[in-house]
Amino acid sequence: MDPFEVLLEQSAAVHGHLCAGQVVGVRMAMLGCRLIGLEDPTNREQIKKLIVFVEMDRCTADAVAYVTGVKLGRRSLKFMDYGIMAATFVNLETGKSFRVLSTEESRDLADSYAPEIEGKGARQVEAYKRMPECVLFRVQKVKVHLSEFDLPGPTRKKTECHRCGQVIRDNREAIIDGRPVCRPCTEQSYFSHAKEVTWSGMNRTPEPIGREKEDIPC
Amino acid sequence: MLKKIALEEAVGTELAHDITEISENGFKGPAFKKGHRVCDEDVCKLQKLGKNNLYLIDLADDEIHENEAAALLAESLAGAGVVFENTPSEGRINLHAAFDGLFTVNTAALAAFNMTDEVMCATRHTNTLVKKGDLVGGTRAIPLVMKRAPVERAGQVAAQSGGILSVRPLQQMNAGLIITGSEVYNGLIKDRFAPVLKEKIEALGSLVKEIIFVPDDADRIRDALTTHIAAGCDLILISGGMSVDPDDVTRKGIQMAGARDMHYSAAVLPGAMFMSACIGSVPVLGIPACALHHRATVLDLVLPRILAGQKVGKKELALMGHGGLCLNCTECGFPDCSFGLGC
Repeated sequence: MDPFEVLLEQSAAVHGHLCAGQVVGVRMAMLGCRLIGLEDPTNREQIKKLIVFVEMDRCTADAVAYVTGVKLGRRSLKFMDYGIMAATFVNLETGKSFRVLSTEESRDLADSYAPEIEGKGARQVEAYKRMPECVLFRVQKVKVHLSEFDLPGPTRKKTECHRCGQVIRDNREAIIDGRPVCRPCTEQSYFSHAKEVTWSGMNRTPEPIGREKEDIPC
Repeated sequence: MLKKIALEEAVGTELAHDITEISENGFKGPAFKKGHRVCDEDVCKLQKLGKNNLYLIDLADDEIHENEAAALLAESLAGAGVVFENTPSEGRINLHAAFDGLFTVNTAALAAFNMTDEVMCATRHTNTLVKKGDLVGGTRAIPLVMKRAPVERAGQVAAQSGGILSVRPLQQMNAGLIITGSEVYNGLIKDRFAPVLKEKIEALGSLVKEIIFVPDDADRIRDALTTHIAAGCDLILISGGMSVDPDDVTRKGIQMAGARDMHYSAAVLPGAMFMSACIGSVPVLGIPACALHHRATVLDLVLPRILAGQKVGKKELALMGHGGLCLNCTECGFPDCSFGLGC
């Protein structure tokens, strides 16, 4: 793993700005990886051994994902919408799992750790760099319950929704009256009033580079 | 785990903690110590102390008693030059100076420690001169029984940078004085700076090796600095010419002598026109004229810290603003006043 300052600079560039959440996220990821014995998580040897659960969709989450290399599409990044500044690091090989929580008191302590820095944001950035881990974080040893359907790798199961026919992957269906139902059909969805529509240019395909666009025969 | 039992049923059991007595004659302290086996004769006195129930303790593996917790915390808090006796009284352990010196507190770490739940530590102000044996702090765990992990985490917070509380001995330095001012150099007026500076330096156990008088001439000031350093002075105090008059060339002379980390101004009254710098490893302190008229000035705040090996530069001089206001009392009580506290 690269040194902290290098990771922070790179993570901030990918995220779009340097902020206190980035500092916390980079340090959280470095600590989490150290605790589970995967100190070079983006290395080919280690990349498949790691799963990270992030409990917030804030700047910190991006930094954790950047440093660990976990990705939603690779199923190594799990987003739990808890609104808690925490992430859990799981070593799939050993089963070791630690949940790292950012302390609330660290926010109040920023003034003490970097009193000479002007501006709240800049002061927090510097203070979070200076605080020892035991001030910045609490750590819990946890057991993470992963089913085979949560793991990286190919889709392990496909089911059709009994109500709408939608294919559901990886055991995410609900069972209602003994039959599989997709989440939107359960009315526990993040959207409602779904109605299929058409849109202008719906015949479009991406234009190949370096080739004249060919007329599509009707 | 704590189990409550009625006092009458407690005879024959051991007390789980000290039981405090506050008597009419002003005594406050433990009437019974932890571990005391309750006997029939104790029941009446315990009732008078308002105890109708007592705790029995059955510690689980992940729990810690307040006395053990206090010892763990004190061990972590105590940095160099701070000692304690592991004899908790009412759950509290006091920390003391192991020798004469400058008591310092990592105030950020202390705040972090006190922000962790169920533990506390109170101290003297940071950068206070103390004598061997002086009380410098006290710590305790708040509940009688706590989970061990949070106490150990608090211990780690306390142990940062080698312990939150420390005492550093003052080094004996050989100071060189430079008294600038053409009016003094030419004998128009009598110098009053040298005796004042000498007294302050010697009061802190250091020595004045040599005094050089120079006129308001930057080259002569530079030469005087070079002379002191060549003579082995490891601290230089230079007075006069620190103001904004056209004749005030002291800072220019210091610059010409190769000073670095020069910072002019301190958030202290009296002492705003103080200057700090270094030539090589030798601290150079520019003393403004207020040192002649006030018993306590910025110099009294800076000098002990320099002798304790601290760097005092822009940041430190800025942070002195909080508490850096002398109230000009009719009778000066410094250092037993608010001047310089909190910096």
